[in-house]
Parts: sequence; C-alpha cells; structure tokens
Amino acid sequence: MQGGSSGIGYGLKYQARCISDVKADRDHTSFLTGTLSLKEENEVHLLRLSSGGSELLCEGLFSHPNEIWDLASCPFDQRIFSTVFSTGESFGAAIWQIPEPYGQSNSSTLECVASLDAHVGKINCVLWCPSGNSDKLISMDEQNLVLWSLDSSKKSAEVLSKESAGMRHSLSGGAWNPHDVNSIAATSESSIQFWDLRTMKKVNSIERAHVRNVDYNLKREHILVSADDESGIHLWDLRKTNVPVQELPGHTHWTWAVRCNPEYEELILSVGTDSAVNLWFASASSENKTAGSPVEASRQRVNPLLNSYTDYEDSVYGLAWSLREPWIFASLSYDGRVVIESVKPFLPRR
Amino acid sequence: MATEAAPMDEKAKRMRDLLSSFYAPDPSISTSNSSINASFDNINSTSFDADQYMDLMIKKSNLEVLLQRHVQMAAEIKNLDTDLQMLVYENYNKFISATDTIKRMKSNIFGMEGNMDQLLQKIMSVQSRSDGVNTSLFEKREHIEKLHRTRNLLRKVQFIYDLPARLQKCIKSEAYGDAVRFYTGAMPILKVYGDTSFQDCRRASEETIEIIIKNLQTKLFSDSESIQARAEAAVLLKQLDVPVDSLKAKLLEKLEQSLDGLQIKPEEASKLVEHDDSSNDTESNDQHPAKIHEDAVRGFSEAMRAYREIFPDSEERLFKLARALTAMHFENMELYIRKRVSAADFLGIFRIIWEDVVLMDEVLPEAALSDLSAEAAQVTLKQFVARTFSHLQQDISDTLLKFDINQKEAVEGEVLKVILEASQKAVLQGTTNIFQDFRQLLDENAGIFIKMRDLISGWIQKGFQDFFRSLEAQFLVLSGKTSSSNDIEGKSSDKIHAGLILVLAQLSVFIEQKVIPRVTEEIAASFSGGNSQAFDNGPAFIPGELCRVFHAASEKLLQHYIDTRTQKVSVLLRKRFKTPNWVKHKEPREVHMYVDMFLHELEEVGKEVKQVLPQGTFRKHKRTDSNGSNTTTSSRSNTLHSDKMTRSNSQRARSQLFETHLAKLFKQKVEIFTKVEFTQESVVTTTVKLCLKSLQEYVRLQTFNRSGFQQIQLDIQFLKAPLKETVEDEAAIDFLLDEVIVAASERCLDVIPLEPPILDKLIQAKLAKSKEHNNNTVSS
Repeated sequence: MQGGSSGIGYGLKYQARCISDVKADRDHTSFLTGTLSLKEENEVHLLRLSSGGSELLCEGLFSHPNEIWDLASCPFDQRIFSTVFSTGESFGAAIWQIPEPYGQSNSSTLECVASLDAHVGKINCVLWCPSGNSDKLISMDEQNLVLWSLDSSKKSAEVLSKESAGMRHSLSGGAWNPHDVNSIAATSESSIQFWDLRTMKKVNSIERAHVRNVDYNLKREHILVSADDESGIHLWDLRKTNVPVQELPGHTHWTWAVRCNPEYEELILSVGTDSAVNLWFASASSENKTAGSPVEASRQRVNPLLNSYTDYEDSVYGLAWSLREPWIFASLSYDGRVVIESVKPFLPRR
Repeated sequence: MATEAAPMDEKAKRMRDLLSSFYAPDPSISTSNSSINASFDNINSTSFDADQYMDLMIKKSNLEVLLQRHVQMAAEIKNLDTDLQMLVYENYNKFISATDTIKRMKSNIFGMEGNMDQLLQKIMSVQSRSDGVNTSLFEKREHIEKLHRTRNLLRKVQFIYDLPARLQKCIKSEAYGDAVRFYTGAMPILKVYGDTSFQDCRRASEETIEIIIKNLQTKLFSDSESIQARAEAAVLLKQLDVPVDSLKAKLLEKLEQSLDGLQIKPEEASKLVEHDDSSNDTESNDQHPAKIHEDAVRGFSEAMRAYREIFPDSEERLFKLARALTAMHFENMELYIRKRVSAADFLGIFRIIWEDVVLMDEVLPEAALSDLSAEAAQVTLKQFVARTFSHLQQDISDTLLKFDINQKEAVEGEVLKVILEASQKAVLQGTTNIFQDFRQLLDENAGIFIKMRDLISGWIQKGFQDFFRSLEAQFLVLSGKTSSSNDIEGKSSDKIHAGLILVLAQLSVFIEQKVIPRVTEEIAASFSGGNSQAFDNGPAFIPGELCRVFHAASEKLLQHYIDTRTQKVSVLLRKRFKTPNWVKHKEPREVHMYVDMFLHELEEVGKEVKQVLPQGTFRKHKRTDSNGSNTTTSSRSNTLHSDKMTRSNSQRARSQLFETHLAKLFKQKVEIFTKVEFTQESVVTTTVKLCLKSLQEYVRLQTFNRSGFQQIQLDIQFLKAPLKETVEDEAAIDFLLDEVIVAASERCLDVIPLEPPILDKLIQAKLAKSKEHNNNTVSS
C-alpha cells in the first residue's frame, strides 16, 4: 500500500450502504459489508485485505434474508455482527453469527444469534458497546432507545431497558461514547441528544438541525464530530456545546457520514452524496483555544482538506477506518463498490 | 674535560661564540675542540698564547692567507699605536687648561671684604632716618582718620533723616526703583537704631514704603502697564521682601481659570468652523467665535509672555499650563471627531489649534509645545482616519440593513436591486468621499501636516487595508455565514433574508472588480508616499490580497446563498418524503403540491437572481461546443430512460437494473457539481441541481409500492418542462431527473410506470388548474 493513491476496489453485486470494520479480528484487516437490494437475494461479504495489502479478498459470502440498512461488527467476537434490515414494509434488527468453517463454501447461511424485536417503527442502527467485551447493545428506532444484553452462548438477547425519546424527536442514528460507556449520542431531527444509559435519561443536547451522523474521537475525550446536510462538519467540545470548536466545509451536497481516525486524532474522514470521500485535518483542540475564536481559527487554517478521493460513480454512504491498520479506510458507494485507500501519504509527522 | 671547562664559565662561553663565528666555514669541528683552542687562540683574551696561535695559523692556513693575515695584523697594530698617542696628548692638554683656571680664581678673591663693610653701614643709616619720619607723622594721620569717620557717620544720619522726604519725592516722580534702593540701604541702620534715636524717621519711611508697595502691587496687577514696568515692579517687590510667590500664584491661578474659556468645546466646535467660513464673506461680522477664540488665545499667550518675564522662575508652571491647554485642545478634538465630521471641519479645528500652538510656542519655545502637539496631532489624525473608515463601514451596513427591514414588510418588488444599487453607491461614494477628505488632509499646509504627510499616507493605506478586511468580515457576519461569538446575533442569523446574502455576494464582486482597483489607482496617484519609510515590512495596502479576500468572500457568500435556498427546498422535500407511507401509497391522481412549492421557491430564486446578478452569456450553444461529453451523457441517459420505460413495462426490472449499472460504467460522470459563476443562469442551475440531487437522495431512502413510484414519476414528469425552461444546463437536469426516476424504480417493489397518455392527462389537468389558480389570484 505504499503511495496508495489508487485504492483497491471490490465490487458487490447489488447496491449497498453499509460497511463495518471487523474490530475483533486482530490478525487481519477485514471489513463486513452488506447489500441493499429490494428484490434480489441480499448478501453479506466478509472482505479481507491480503497481507501485502495489495488485494482485497472475499473471505466469506453469506446470504442475508433482507436488504441491509445498517451493519455493525461485534467488537469482541469477529464472527458476530448485527444488521438492521428491511423487508420493504417493515424493519427488523438481528445479531448474526458467521458459521464456523467460514470461507469454505461460497455461500452459506448465517446463524441468527438473536433477533432484536422490540421495535415497531423504522429501526436506524444497532450500536455495540465500545468497551471491548461488554455484551451490551443499543438498538435505536425513530422514537425509542433499547438497551440489550446479549448472551451469545445461549443465543438470546434480553431487553435491559427501553426509553422513548418522544414523538417529536425522530431519532436517526447515534454513537456510543468510547470514553464513557454509560453515555451515547443520538442524532435527531433538531438536535444531537446525549443519553445516560444508567438512568436512560436525556442529559444534554446540542441544538443543531438535520445532523446526519456523529462520531466520537477515540483519542480525544470530549470531542464529537457531527455531519449535517447543509453546513458540513462540526467539531464539538462536549463541555462547551453552544459553539462548535471547529467547522469544516463538508461536501458539495450532503455530508452523509463522518469518522474520526482511531489512532491519529486530527484525521477525520467524511463521505458525501457528491460521490467523494474527503480527508480532513482538524487540528483544533479545545484546550488551547478560547471559546470566542473558533471561527477565527478555522479561517486562519490554510486548508483543512488534505485530500478528496473522487473516484466514485455514485453517492458514498459507507465508511470505516481499520482499527488494526489505522491508516487504512474502506468506503462504499451506492453502486456497491468497496474501495480501500491508505492515507499514509497524509499522516501527520510524528 | 668538564672540570677544566668549569672555572672558565662566562668568559669561555663568549670565546666560544667568537670562535664559532670565526670558524663558520668549517662547522664540522666539534665545539669541545674549539673550546680548548679558544683559550689560546683569541688575541683579546688574557690567556692568549702567541706561539700556539702562530702554530695553529701555520698549520691551518696556506701562505697566501698567512701573508694576508700578516698585512692585516700590521695595519691593526699601527692603528692601535696612533690611537694611543692621540689619547695621551688630549689628556695632557686638558690638564694644562685646568691649572690656568685655578690660578685666575686665586687673584680675583682679594679686596672683596672691604666693599662689604661699606655697604652695611649705608643700609643702617637709611633705616634710622625712616623711623624718624614715621614717628613725626603718626599723630596727624590719626586725627585725619577720626575726622573722616565722623563725616561718614554724619552723612548716614543725614540720609536717614532725609529718607522719608526722599521717598515721598520718589513716589511723586514714580522712581520706585530709587526709593527701594534707598530704603534697603537704610534698612540695616533702621533695624539697629529704629527703636531709639530714629523712631520717627523709621515710622515715616515705613509708611511711605507701604505706599510704595501698594503702588507697586497695583502696577503689577494692572494689565495696562507695560510688561517691563510690571516686571520691574515685581522685582522691586521682591527686594522689599514682600511675599511675591503668593502674588504669582494668584496671577497664575487667574490664568489657569482663563483656560476654560479657551477650550474648544466639542459642541461649539462645528459652530466655530461654520462661522469661520461664513465670516470670510462678511468681514464686518466681528462676532464670529473663531475670531473671539483667536483673540482670547492671543491674550492668553500675551499674558504668558508677561508672566514669564515677570516671574522668570515660573516657567515650569507656564509650560504646564500651555501643555494643558494643548492637551485639552486635542482631547476636545477627539471628542469632537467621535461624531461624524467632515475633513474640512476637522481641518478647520485643526488649523485653529495649530495657530494657538504656534502663538504659545512663540512665547514659550522651551515648552516643546510643537513637539507635544505634533504627537497629539498624530494620535488624533490617526483616530480621525480610523473613524472615517469605521463610519464608512457603518454607512455601508446601514444601507444594507435599512432596506432589509422594509423588505420584510413590503412586497418583494425590486427591493434587492435597490439595495444592491444603493450599497454599491454607498461603497463607491464613500470611498470617493474618503479620498476627497484625505486629499484635503494632504493638501493642508499647516506645520504639522507637512511633517506627517508620509505618515498620513501610510495610515490611509493601512486604513483601507483594514477597512476592506473588516468589511469582508462584516459581510460574512451579516450573511450569517460566520456566527459571531455573540449569542444574540447568532440567533438573529436565522432570520437573515437569503436575498441579502445574494446582494452581499454581488457586492463583494463589485468591490473586488471595481472598488479595489479604483482605490489602488487613487492610492498610487496621491497617497503613495508613506510606503517606504513608515512600513518597512512591505506596503500596507495590498490590493492583490484584498481582491483575493473578496473573491473568496463572494464565492463563499454565493455558495451560502445557494445553500440557504436549497436548504429551504430540502426541508420541503424532507417533509414530503417523511410523511406518507410510501409502501401503501394510493394511486396518483394529480401532481403533488410540493412540486408547486418547489417551483415557487425556484421562481423566487430566479427573481432575486435577476435583480442582483448579471445575465450570463447565452450558454446553450456553448455547452455543445465545450463540454460535449455532457450532451452525450444526457442523450445516453435519455435513451436509457425510454428504454427502461418500455422494458419495465415488460417486467424486466432485474436486467434493467443491471443495465443501469453497465451504462454507468461506460458513460462519463456527469458533472453535477460544477463551479458556480456569478450569472443568473449559473446560480439557478446550481440550485436546481442541488435540489434534484437531494430529491434523489430522499427517494433512495424510501421504499415505494407501484403507486408511490407512479406518483414520483408523475411529479418528475411535470417538473421537467418548467425546470428546463429555467435552467441553463438541460443535459444535467435531464440526467438528474432520470436519476430520480431510476432511484425510485430501484426502491420500488413493483415497478410499473404510468402509461404516457395518463401521465399526459394528469399533467394537463395540473397545468389547467394552476392556470386557473393564477387567473383567480389575478382577478381577486
């Protein structure tokens, strides 16, 4: 992957929206992705980057009963992952296990560990507790947050608590705080809400309309990145939520998703419906900047955009950094194209 | 050998040296050898042995050398002999002359003693005679001395007795100086004997002196007296031990109080200038304040001159006063220019102050008033320049906002155009005025200005630089693009009218293209001076940078305008797609409402854009020339579209999807997100493109049943015609509209498009309805 300006591509058969890094796989850099096809047989692909980093191999191909709207890999067991799926008329969420000798047969069926069937409306996402080996899960639909406890050996999941966010706030997604396992951020129509999982109460919120995606910075506590449709990307300091720490221009059209690099705290990736992936350098840290100057600061920076990868045919929805090799990311455009790129040329000097 | 050599030490060493120089041609001979030979060979040494020397010579030298040596030696011996003879002869000579001298001295000493005795006797007699004269004259001299002393005393007594009369006389003749001299002369006596013998006399003279003091004081205080007289009076008073300091203090206090009257009060300042102008026409008007002020200052400086001479030790105090006045002037000036002041008025006041300073400076050159005022003037001038710029900025933003308020109430009309023109005028007029004003500053010939000309140029350049920079920042704040740190303003940013943003964008372009070049020219023409000296780190005014800044700002603002506009549409679309359950959609009966609203929004954009932006060059043909790829893609997607329609009729959705993928692989990417230009068409096109892209994305998030898909199809079909009318880049619009249909078909469970006749019918119905609606609104 030296000088990897041109990424490694892999084509899915159908359209797709979601890709996830398999965090529990310590030996390989692998990603899970699932297709979104209303009428065809949907598939989950387990992709692995070859040891030389020059090829992207399909390690496993599993059929999935419905089109996949969200997919998340379990942080402690590489064989387990969650999906949110839709039959077209109704939504469902489930935990799946990849069958034991995977990779042998070309298409094998997934084992359903548990079905997260406590929802009625449109399910948005399933979040795994980021602490590593906790068996907690959050599933989110437009009105409700449900905290689950998963027992993979017994193949069951039970609801620990459930809370309604209210009709007015239609939730659209969220992120689990890696620095505080009791706190999650959920995006809703008009704000970013922060929930305390112990009490299942909303503790704080940032008023910001149409936030599409949020991500916590793994390296910097209190820093949250949000992406919205119109005004791009914002960095927030959770201790001072009235003004963003920094603003980044985002994409020409909507900024769909945003991800902080798990290792290099200044690097942020965003994908957008303008068929591009942008790599940003966000140096602003809340410690050395006063609250009044973020605007100034962002204006002073020469150009926070390090690179724009534009070799996509359609809107890009899926995005994941690799935890194992933090300079590698996978992106997935709607036409089912997975592209692995390395950001090594842009890494900050250390 | 060492024991032999030891006793010789010093001498031997010298020998050795001599020998080594002698035997230099043959250095192979060891030093020990030569040291043995040394004692015998050297002629000059005491242990010289002639035989050995001879032996050595004979052994070592040949005949010729020996002969030479012989001749040389003979000559040397002869020389030595003659030298010896000369010495003996000279010694003898000296001895003879010494004996002669001693003989002469002996004969001279005889007979001297007798002469000495005679001399002693004569001196003795002279002394006895002088003693005699002294004793005989002593008595007379004592008498004379006594008489003389008595006479002096009598004269003094006479003087003291005469003193009162004399003082009176002096008063009459106003010769106070003499009077004081007399009085001080008599003072010591009066002090000693005043209580006894001269009591009357003393009283009388003191009384007169009282009168004199009083007279002197009145003289000192009276302004009518000449300064010299007053100064003298002060000096005399001081001689009379009258406490002058308190007098001085009183006088200076009076002077200080008069300072208040001299102030140029900010409220009156304008009057001062006005009258100054008007009085030029009617000279008879002697009431105008400028004249009064001038007179007052003149009086003040005269007074200062006087006091300075009267009390030479009071300079410090006067300096302080003069400085205070100058400082006060400039302070008032600062207050004055806090309001909006034209350069002419400013200069008027400045001139007055400068005149004052010059007047005072004449009197008190040491007070360094001109330096002080030059410094103060620099500060004030700098402030004036800065204020002028901030006023201009205020003007511009006022113009922008003034109309904005109206706009919300009144009908849209041509408001944007009016704002744009007004603000353009404000910027142009403002800068022109500023230049006029500053040119006046430069043309001013008052002393300080000449010195500061370079500085002024520098300030003006820097002022423009800062002005434009802050103007840009303000534009961004006004547009709500950068939320100011202030929370209250941040809230109001929601209400900012999109049109205003557009105006700001166009205004930025105007500034970049028209105003900055003009300013650059003007600066080059008249204010280029200060560059080299005042600002070492390059010129203060950098038009290139400003152009860049405004260029970036204009693009940012235009983008922001488009963003706010598309945001509105986006909200509209979001509502449209979130509300119904698309999977259970009913059969389409008419074109949905949101299409109207969308078109209405576009219409509004069109209206605003038309008012503000210039029309672009007609692009339709150009497009086919330059980006031919666009047209080809559009035609391709067109055919694709029609293909798809027929095929989906035959339920071949699966292969159709595959084909879209294939087609996508082969066709070039349509440049949906091109750079926005400052033309009506470009902005509208970009807005439409962004909206359609949003529409596509919303569609992709839903799942449709057949009727839902048909509804979308109908809506899009209806949109096609009006969009193409408004938009420059038809190909891209076609492509995007097709993309929406494709997206909908992909997300549809059961793709069966509406039959074209039905589609047509519904669209016609909608058109008729909207026409009717229009008629209704017109008639009502």
